[in-house]
Amino acid sequence: MNNKLIKLSSITKKLLVALFGTFLLVFLLFHMCANLFILADDGGDAYSSFCHFMGTNALVKVAEVVLLGTFLLHICLSVILWCQNRGNRPVRYQRPSRTKTAKGSKLAIITGSLLLVCLLFHFYDFYFVKLNVVKGGNYMVKTEDFVISDPSQEVSEEAQIIVMQAIQDQKISKDGRWLRQLSHADKEVLQECFPDAAFEPDFYNTAREKFSVWHIVLCYLVFFFVVGLHIRHGFESAFQSFGLNHYKYSRLIEVLGIVYTWVVCLGFAMVPLCVFFFK
Amino acid sequence: MNFTLHIWRQQNATDKGRFETYKVSDISPDCSFLEMLDILNESLINDNIAHPVCFDNDCREGICGMCGLYINGRPHGNDDGVTTCQLHMRKFDDGDEIWIEPWRAKAFPVIRDLVVDRSAFDKIIQAGGYISVTTGGVPDANAIPVPKRFSDMAMDAAECIGCGACVAACKNASAMLFVGAKVAHLAMLPQGQVEAHERVKKMVCRMDELGFGSCTNTFACEAECPKQIKRQNIARLNREWIKQLFAGNHKPSSHLSNH
Amino acid sequence: MVLDSKIPEGPLSEKWTNYKTSQKLVNPANKRKLDIIVVGTGLAGASAAASLGALGFNVDIFCIQDSPRRAHSIAAQGGINAAKNYQNDGDSIERLFRDTIKGGDYRAREANVYRLAEVSGDIIDQCVAQGVPFARDYSGLLDNRSFGGAQVSRTFYARGQTGQQLLLGAYGVLSREIERGSVRLHNRCEMEELVLVKDKEGKERARGIIVRNLVDGKLERYSAHAVVLATGGYGNVYFLSTNAMNSNGSAAWICHRKGAAFANPCYVQIHPTCIPVHGDYQSKLTLMSESLRNDGRIWVPKKKEDAEAIRTGQKRANDIPEEERDYYLERRYPAFGNLVPRDVASRAAKERCDAGYGVGSTGLAVYLDFSDAIRRLGKDIVEQKYGNLFQMYQKITDENPYETPMMIYPAVHYTMGGLWVDYELQTTIPGLFAAGECNFSDHGANRLGASALMQGLADGYFVLPYTLQNYLADQITIGHIPTDTPEFDEAEQSVRQREERLMGIGGDKTVDSFHKRLGHIMWEQVGMSRNEASLTKASAMIDELEDEFWKSVRIPGDIESFNPEMEKALRLADYFELARLITADALHRRESCGGHFRTESQTDDGETLRDDENFMYVAAWEYQGHGKPETLHKEPLNYEHIKIATRNYKQ
Repeated sequence: MNNKLIKLSSITKKLLVALFGTFLLVFLLFHMCANLFILADDGGDAYSSFCHFMGTNALVKVAEVVLLGTFLLHICLSVILWCQNRGNRPVRYQRPSRTKTAKGSKLAIITGSLLLVCLLFHFYDFYFVKLNVVKGGNYMVKTEDFVISDPSQEVSEEAQIIVMQAIQDQKISKDGRWLRQLSHADKEVLQECFPDAAFEPDFYNTAREKFSVWHIVLCYLVFFFVVGLHIRHGFESAFQSFGLNHYKYSRLIEVLGIVYTWVVCLGFAMVPLCVFFFK
Repeated sequence: MNFTLHIWRQQNATDKGRFETYKVSDISPDCSFLEMLDILNESLINDNIAHPVCFDNDCREGICGMCGLYINGRPHGNDDGVTTCQLHMRKFDDGDEIWIEPWRAKAFPVIRDLVVDRSAFDKIIQAGGYISVTTGGVPDANAIPVPKRFSDMAMDAAECIGCGACVAACKNASAMLFVGAKVAHLAMLPQGQVEAHERVKKMVCRMDELGFGSCTNTFACEAECPKQIKRQNIARLNREWIKQLFAGNHKPSSHLSNH
Repeated sequence: MVLDSKIPEGPLSEKWTNYKTSQKLVNPANKRKLDIIVVGTGLAGASAAASLGALGFNVDIFCIQDSPRRAHSIAAQGGINAAKNYQNDGDSIERLFRDTIKGGDYRAREANVYRLAEVSGDIIDQCVAQGVPFARDYSGLLDNRSFGGAQVSRTFYARGQTGQQLLLGAYGVLSREIERGSVRLHNRCEMEELVLVKDKEGKERARGIIVRNLVDGKLERYSAHAVVLATGGYGNVYFLSTNAMNSNGSAAWICHRKGAAFANPCYVQIHPTCIPVHGDYQSKLTLMSESLRNDGRIWVPKKKEDAEAIRTGQKRANDIPEEERDYYLERRYPAFGNLVPRDVASRAAKERCDAGYGVGSTGLAVYLDFSDAIRRLGKDIVEQKYGNLFQMYQKITDENPYETPMMIYPAVHYTMGGLWVDYELQTTIPGLFAAGECNFSDHGANRLGASALMQGLADGYFVLPYTLQNYLADQITIGHIPTDTPEFDEAEQSVRQREERLMGIGGDKTVDSFHKRLGHIMWEQVGMSRNEASLTKASAMIDELEDEFWKSVRIPGDIESFNPEMEKALRLADYFELARLITADALHRRESCGGHFRTESQTDDGETLRDDENFMYVAAWEYQGHGKPETLHKEPLNYEHIKIATRNYKQ
């Protein structure tokens, strides 16, 4: 597989990078829209049901695998290209280049690598929790899972306290369907008593918790800045690689690229900023 | 005007090479960069200081594409849309230090000092950068009208002089602008469309084989092209490549090809 | 030496057809057994090699640059003539033929010129099929512009880079043949010797060449059944010219030394529109296309005081009011105005400057003014037509030609003279052919604008592929020619000796310093106007300079290395001999015609005065050894078809 990738023509490789990149651009827009639910003034109901859908739907699972593959291929191909390109000037210029270039493209491999690192942290906070690799953040569970159908079932005192406390702290959603904001320890206890209960990560509350810490907010803002640099290059670059740059439309593509970059970055940045300052 | 020159000296392809420093004085601002080097060489020979500096040059009017020096970090020096021979000393300040290097790329090995071997470009063209007509038996020149717009765009692309500044400027030493210009030139014309798929396939494969890098859309090539060939030609190359990818190969059935 | 021009029988318009139908051909199986050497990759060389390769011959092609695409044909700006009559303005093969003969001041061979006009249309067809992006109008059909010496628009062009586009077309088809393996390319190689080998009948034939590999300085041997020279002109003998730095006359001169007659060397074209000289350090002159004379108007001030004021910088061109300007070409030649042929325009400029009306700091410049055209057409149209030329002018002179008039002055541009060839383009050495600028055949005493490209491509695409076969048809039994023979040994030895002799001088002066001095002598004494006194003087000065060169030139480095100084020295050594022959030819031709202007022979109003009775011939010179006067052979010019007249561009 890898050998085949390396042997592809340089243009095909670049074309694939662009193709996967475009998929990621679309995903990014989708992700941003989803994030905006956090800001909805419904105590997180909409966002939670969305997370539930994303966490349980079979098609989404497939999509996740595709997305992950896309990420990996995008990165793999970019790195292969970068390695191959590095060898094309064995003796380097002794004087620094003063040519005016598209900086975003020149630094794409660096912004890309930075993004990869940031992404790992982001995964640690959210995605790996979902995969149950990392244990942390908040959890939620459907209230119907606590209905005791079998009278012989024993509910430990600890669990009762947790549930009572949760009700007292208004950790039940407005529609009464969800019990939320459970810590990992709480979850463990409840899980013992209700082995059938399907616990899910409570990203709404995890996000709110994280985004109320200033240095995490700052990290995320930097993250989105780098994302901005990378997609500012990626958007136009993808058009170029698809051969869709033309004298007549080049300006339009550039403007679209700028608009897209700002929309996505501001959209993402709004969530931590709003949470930090207003909630 | 007076200048301090730091010039890359390299005896031959295997020599490691180093910078040597020379001074030139009383240079007229109307003097071209290569004429300034002529004056330096004249003094190097007269005073028996060193072997004159070797550099490629020929027409000295910006069209043959033979000259090409990497001057102070820019191919063809600090002026837009010119070749080295059309760069004039009035573009520099009196007393400037000027660093002169050869084009550097795996595909362009140094021959001596500032002279490099660019036959890789010829090899790319040989792979398919033409329309395969032989002499005679062609239709009348006006038999196939070509929309002026296309003809003008073909001409824009065809202005490439093959100097190699695009490769020299590119961080990947990519020849995509050079290849793109030729592919776009021929793809814009009805005469060239006949073998468009074959052409782009062969040229790009040859380009990869010869050790040129890939395009990462930094457009340093466009910024330094003395003929100001545009990035849209690279896009067209990509487009032609994609078309070719989906075109597939047609193998004539054997009983037909035996005739 | 017998000059047999081998002009076919029949009426002029049927000669070429007759030749082609009765010539000998080589069958495809035999073509594979025949080797051809082509020296030079300009329009003539590249097109010939590509066409011959496609026919099935084995071709070796040589160029001194790093790529065939760099040949100086690339610098031709204006266009290429062809009798297509696409404009419906009365053009025809006959008219192109007559214009060319008249433009050449009745010193060209009728049959050759007619053939040139005949195949001119095919060239355009061929180039369009190759993808040359000629200018088109909104109908999608080809556009034309007009050039000097013609009253029709027959010049096809690709912006200001016609030569580049035509050469890239030829380079493309050449590249195709290289890829197919029928042509082998040898770049960075310079021809240093022609090898002659006696055949069974004891006749010496051109059978190979010795080249210097410019990368390592080693000598290499190549053999073939025929050698085609397409090495361009010798304009660089003047040091400052519009030729490229590496353009040189050595290959042709080497053949001349080996016995090929050299014809009409004194016919040198001085191009009227070049950027004026501005300093000693200058290495070359830049041409501004003749097409500029379509819309630009040439003038100098009417009053000497104004000219003087401009020279000292007190006045500028725009300070001179319209009525104080002397549009001297329009005044002297009302019928052709600014579009008179090059020699006429050049002499008129020199006449004005010599009379004290010149402008620029040196007084050696005239104005080429576009203000009328900008007013009439608008800046945009002017920019569309000439933008790249204007930009080039601005880069070089730092002046904006949209605002102030351009300054121009004549400069050496093209050499009509060259190796003598017959109708088949074969020189007086059997098996040695010459094509393009390096032969003398088509332009007489003056070449019309946009005809050089036409001739180069005509020779390469449409003439040599036929005539060469006629010669090679007898060579099919020869077999591959070995290079380890005494003839090759001797030729290589002589080159090595020459190099060693130059290297051994170890003097204290650079090659360029001598070249500049030679150029100065040639320009001053054998330039735009010549006379007995100046020519005699030049001859003595050249001898003296040559002596000094062989005593005190210094060539640094080694023979067997990349050594541009050695290359230049080898070329300059030939230029001395060539300069002497140009001078001798100019001295013997006591008439004025075309580019050759003898002050002793002019009309009352300063126009050229031909002497048809005594000089209606091609002067072909035979080499007699270094420093010895050459022997003159005359090929009489018989005009059967055309009526000879005084060349008149006034009415």
